[in-house]
Amino acid sequence: MELFLTAHYPIVHVFCNSVDSTSTSRSDRSTHAAKTPYAMSSDNVSTSTEFSPELRVGTWLFTYTKDVTYICPYIGALRGTLTVTNYRLFFRCMDREPAFVLDLPLGVVSRVEKIGGASSRGEVSYGLVCKDIRNLRFAHKQMEDSLRKSIFEILMKFAFPVSNGLPTFAFEYGQVYPENGWKVYDAQVEYKRQGLPNESWRITKVNDHYEVCDTYPSNLVVPVNIPDEELKRVAAFRAKGRIPVLSWIHPESQATVTRCSQPMVGVNGKRSKDDEKYLQAIMDANAQSHKLFIFDARPSVNAAANKMKGGGYESEDAYQNAELVFLDIHNIHVMRESLRKLKEVVYPNIEESHWLSNLESTHWLEHIKLILAGALRIADKVESGKTSVVVHCSDGWDRTAQLTSLAMLMLDGHYRTIRGFQVLLEKEWLSFGHRFQLRIGHGDKNHTDADRSPVFLQFIDCVWQITRQFPAAFEFNEYFLVTILDHMYSCLFGTFMCNSEQQRVKEELPKKTVSLWAYINSQLEEFTNPLYVNYSNHVLFPVVSMRHLELWVGYYIRWNPRMRPQEPVHQRYKELLAKRAELQKRVEELQRDVTNRSASSSERAGSPTRSITPVQTFV
Amino acid sequence: MFPLKPTFKSYLLPVQTDLKKTPQPPIKKLEAKLLPGEIVVNEVSFVRKCIGADSSHGDLWGKLICTNFKVSFITHDALPKQRFQVANRLLGEHDVPLACVEQVVTVNDAKGKQKVLCSNQKLKFNPTELILYCKDFRIIRFRFDEAGPQSAKKVCLAIAHYSHPADPQLLFGFEYVGKQNYGSLGERVNGVDPGGGLQMPLFDRPSEWDREIKRTGAAEWRVCSINEGYVVSSSLPEYFVVPVSLADQDLKQYLCFFTAHRIPLWCWNHPNGSALVRMASISDPLQQRKLDQRICSAITKSHPQRSDVLKSDLDKNLPNIQDIQAAFVKVRQICVIEPFEESEEKWLSSMESSRWLEYVRSFLKHSAEVVYLLEGKHVSVILQEEEDRDLSCVVSSLVQLMLDPHFRSLTGFQSLVQKEWVMAGHRFLDRCNHLKKNNKEESPLFQLFLDCVWQIINQYPAAFEFTETYLTVLSDSMWIPVFSTFLFNCSQQRTENSMDFAKSKCIPLGEEKALRFPPVWDWSQQFTSKDQALFNNPMYVGKGATCVQNGTVKSFRRTKKNYSSTLRGMPSSLRNILMDGHDSLTLTRRNSLVPWLKPDFSQIREVVESPTERFFRDWVSRPADLQGMLIPQLLPSHLALWRLYFLRWVPEASIPKGGSVTAYHKLSQLADEVEMLQSQLRQYKGATPASTPTSNPSTPSSDHSRMYFKAVSTHEPSSTPEYLSSSFPFSPVGNMCRRSILGTPLSKFLNGAKIWLSTETLANEAL
Repeated sequence: MELFLTAHYPIVHVFCNSVDSTSTSRSDRSTHAAKTPYAMSSDNVSTSTEFSPELRVGTWLFTYTKDVTYICPYIGALRGTLTVTNYRLFFRCMDREPAFVLDLPLGVVSRVEKIGGASSRGEVSYGLVCKDIRNLRFAHKQMEDSLRKSIFEILMKFAFPVSNGLPTFAFEYGQVYPENGWKVYDAQVEYKRQGLPNESWRITKVNDHYEVCDTYPSNLVVPVNIPDEELKRVAAFRAKGRIPVLSWIHPESQATVTRCSQPMVGVNGKRSKDDEKYLQAIMDANAQSHKLFIFDARPSVNAAANKMKGGGYESEDAYQNAELVFLDIHNIHVMRESLRKLKEVVYPNIEESHWLSNLESTHWLEHIKLILAGALRIADKVESGKTSVVVHCSDGWDRTAQLTSLAMLMLDGHYRTIRGFQVLLEKEWLSFGHRFQLRIGHGDKNHTDADRSPVFLQFIDCVWQITRQFPAAFEFNEYFLVTILDHMYSCLFGTFMCNSEQQRVKEELPKKTVSLWAYINSQLEEFTNPLYVNYSNHVLFPVVSMRHLELWVGYYIRWNPRMRPQEPVHQRYKELLAKRAELQKRVEELQRDVTNRSASSSERAGSPTRSITPVQTFV
Repeated sequence: MFPLKPTFKSYLLPVQTDLKKTPQPPIKKLEAKLLPGEIVVNEVSFVRKCIGADSSHGDLWGKLICTNFKVSFITHDALPKQRFQVANRLLGEHDVPLACVEQVVTVNDAKGKQKVLCSNQKLKFNPTELILYCKDFRIIRFRFDEAGPQSAKKVCLAIAHYSHPADPQLLFGFEYVGKQNYGSLGERVNGVDPGGGLQMPLFDRPSEWDREIKRTGAAEWRVCSINEGYVVSSSLPEYFVVPVSLADQDLKQYLCFFTAHRIPLWCWNHPNGSALVRMASISDPLQQRKLDQRICSAITKSHPQRSDVLKSDLDKNLPNIQDIQAAFVKVRQICVIEPFEESEEKWLSSMESSRWLEYVRSFLKHSAEVVYLLEGKHVSVILQEEEDRDLSCVVSSLVQLMLDPHFRSLTGFQSLVQKEWVMAGHRFLDRCNHLKKNNKEESPLFQLFLDCVWQIINQYPAAFEFTETYLTVLSDSMWIPVFSTFLFNCSQQRTENSMDFAKSKCIPLGEEKALRFPPVWDWSQQFTSKDQALFNNPMYVGKGATCVQNGTVKSFRRTKKNYSSTLRGMPSSLRNILMDGHDSLTLTRRNSLVPWLKPDFSQIREVVESPTERFFRDWVSRPADLQGMLIPQLLPSHLALWRLYFLRWVPEASIPKGGSVTAYHKLSQLADEVEMLQSQLRQYKGATPASTPTSNPSTPSSDHSRMYFKAVSTHEPSSTPEYLSSSFPFSPVGNMCRRSILGTPLSKFLNGAKIWLSTETLANEAL
């Protein structure tokens, strides 16, 4: 429930979001609102003044303030009205035609700060640092000091509900969509699609109540010949009990991608017979190869350093037939710092003279490259080497999720469909406990929290890079990826709430919140790549080279008004499709005419009655 | 510079040992395929062309031939894992035109010696290996392990010698055109009539200028023929366009004050009446002011609103030709010479330090600023450059491409190059350095222009009728020395050299002024019509592309409805910046424009947001009309490396079954289907009720299709052909062989020697 309530001077309006109140039929409502999940029409703000009892997606309006200045880094100061609800911040400058509108879900706000005190011009200002590479600055007159305080306080309260003991907005949002997005992923169905269980792999219920591992899903796929009791002993040897479990199996070679956390080797080089036997079982499950590759996502130095904390990596002495490879991907802190630098370089303006070296100095693309390169090596081992792989980092929920999901995206065309990609995220990221709550810091004011990191953003960036190299291999488009990221921050949907499956079950997210997939699947057209060709058994091997990696300008630089998104090839393709349909219709009509005419005039043979579908030889 | 001691040892693997077991001397006779006028100079058999990156596996055996046109390798072997490569009618699969050879490097790996060969040089060792560095970025390697040492040496020397001709008439085009068109009896033999079949103006006759004046509505401009027979200027075309108010007498009087007598030339008229004019600098400072005034007032008089004239000094605002050449050399070094993996780490900063993209951007930016003046300020603009033969060509063409959709069609584009480059006297001969006389004159201005065009295509893929393949092939054609387009510094030089050559060879020219060199625009010289379909952009939204009978299918022009400006592909909630240009800020700043309206607008950058920038931003905020003005996005983040051109030969950079060509493939198939349906419709419409169409309308002749990839049955899933890669329609296989110079002391040696830069140094120290 987005509620418009207000308790503050100067203007107090309580009204309903008329996007909803004007809807008459249920289906209307879902389409209309679906198109504007967080944008309300600006007209509504200024015209609706009455409280409507028919409050569905309603929002509390906390402040509605005139004469606020938005200091736009591109076009300078803009005066207008600022509205803050428990879901969004909405600024509108009415002096301009068309109106300038700024509409921001509060979930995007990472930090609110007062800037300076009273300035010489008698204005006070405060800045918002956003998670989506934006900083916003507002100012208004000093005489409204009490108001400023209130705006500030309200922002502090509703941008950070978790810190204030309030639920995030996802729990208020009551939009109804035709599909229940929480049903997109069913672990059993997905494993069945992969042909599991089979003679070598079984689905265990040992973690049904999250007792073996509270950050793992309840359904786990493990080697047939390892009984549950042994699994528990293996869990004791793996960090956080995250034992190696199957993520993906090759439909032909039976080579598998398995994931886990680091072994608890420690400084003394502790060993676990159970763990060694377990990895041997994983290798044995694939008859094609007598080797097992262990990909440790970390730089070897970091992996070694982890021994001091009880962790470490598999020694090749202990694990016969296993080869350990370090993938040199840095930890969450390095990535966070890299994104911070990137933001400095791209927002608000780009320094013209040293763009490329500035970009290089952020190391962002270098990190992207290492992640992609790691995933490529995994995919190559599984596909070309027919060898099973074990992937881990330290805890197995950040870099490991990046690597397994990207490798699976390269290996399995199903994950390149819109629904398949949703399954991939639900499976490799959400069910396997990528800690979204901590990494994003939903509703938490502690913006310096060292647990925050753009791990998932990097993954989506990597996906975008692959789509650039294979423009016809993905069913979804760039807008789909941007939408996922935007709603990861928006807190409108429950999808990216919490840190693990266990928490989601406990919080009853599927019951109390709407899934992002419900929204996305209600308007698939918007997210579909018309160029998509479904080649089922096509493995993608992207070229992982700086020569092909690009900064995703459509995401990182989209706030710059000097940038126009690429003239969409997709749009043109859709136009051509529409034209073809139109022409086909006309040709068919004419064909019927001609057939009728020739039939009536004479029974001549050879009239063009056969299919008009052109069949031509292929170049 | 680098330590080259007599004890230098080769660390190369002795490749010849394992090869001795399986040399497969061909049994069939291998002979060069020769063009009219082409003769064999030297040849050597049992040569191995290196293909594989790591081993000799897959290498080809054959004969290496040097003719007066090309380096030819003839083999019976087939390329392993052959990827698609477009075939050129003038060249065999393994041929390299001599004009395309940038550097000839001979190696004797047993002795650890190598030498860069130039014309008329001696070689004191028997080469075991020949490496050709090509102007189109290929690197081709031959090995002579089984070949006769003396013959091998002779061929290497011949290649070095013939690729550095001393006189323009030694360029193969002369022999070719002489033989092909006039035969031995002085009669034309079945040559293509150059330009005759072309549906485009070459701007070598007054009527074509007249038509261009009419097309652009330049009522107050006239064709001037004072340079007929090149009597007043050798570099100006015979016919050009000047303000009506300037009489021939005036012009003749002004001539001598301009550098090389290059008086102002009209380029183009904006529909609002503003003109784009180019001219050389005024050499006499005393006359400068007076002459400037006269020229400006004449141009003002030719403007319907009598608008002002602004002058843009290109020499002041843009990099010079040496800067551009240096940048190009660096970018080539980074893209194809440096070891792939080692250059990865510093790729971005290396690209930046090459400055190539910076220069591309500065030309685009300057051109866009001129666009603003013409379109936004309604003033006429004079592009001024010392000689008006280099930078002006780039800027004036770019401005016209941005403003006039006609030039974004294939023939329009070709006429633009003809008008602003060939006829305006761009020194193609010197800038291509075909004679390799003076390295200081070499500069890839035309390549820079093509890169700028590519950037706009990359940003607006539906706005141009042609593809990046077309641009690449056009660039490659510079190195095939038979086209009138790229052989000469100016038309006068073509005439003069033709006459000399004709006289010396007793070729009767008849009434013609020059030999009939084919223009590059006669693409049938190089490619089959099927291959020419690779030039066509399936996405093109041209005037012709919009029509469907009775308007049932609406034009493809962008409307607000189907393309909502910056916001397409973004959640509506993110529509952050909706703005209108006529905001209060603009009004308050209006006053500051006044001092800026001076003849030279180089100062505009001092304004925080200049009117130009505001104009661009305003344009960006509205939907793009692909048939209207097109301004490229100028943020450095929006300029990209032209990968097809720069990386097409690099095997490591090639994406198998990937790249933008996979989208092109799908688009072409769909566009082909649409065309086929349209043709069916036409046939049905044409058929009168009485006569049922006898020709089957469901299979219209596929010859007429514009698309390279033809439609397939909709019942079959269309899959991407195996041979597609990001290099398509080129292939790295056999065209980029850097094996033995990579990761070996030799590589360090060659890299240290900066082989693209200092040939003399290397040559001197090699022996």
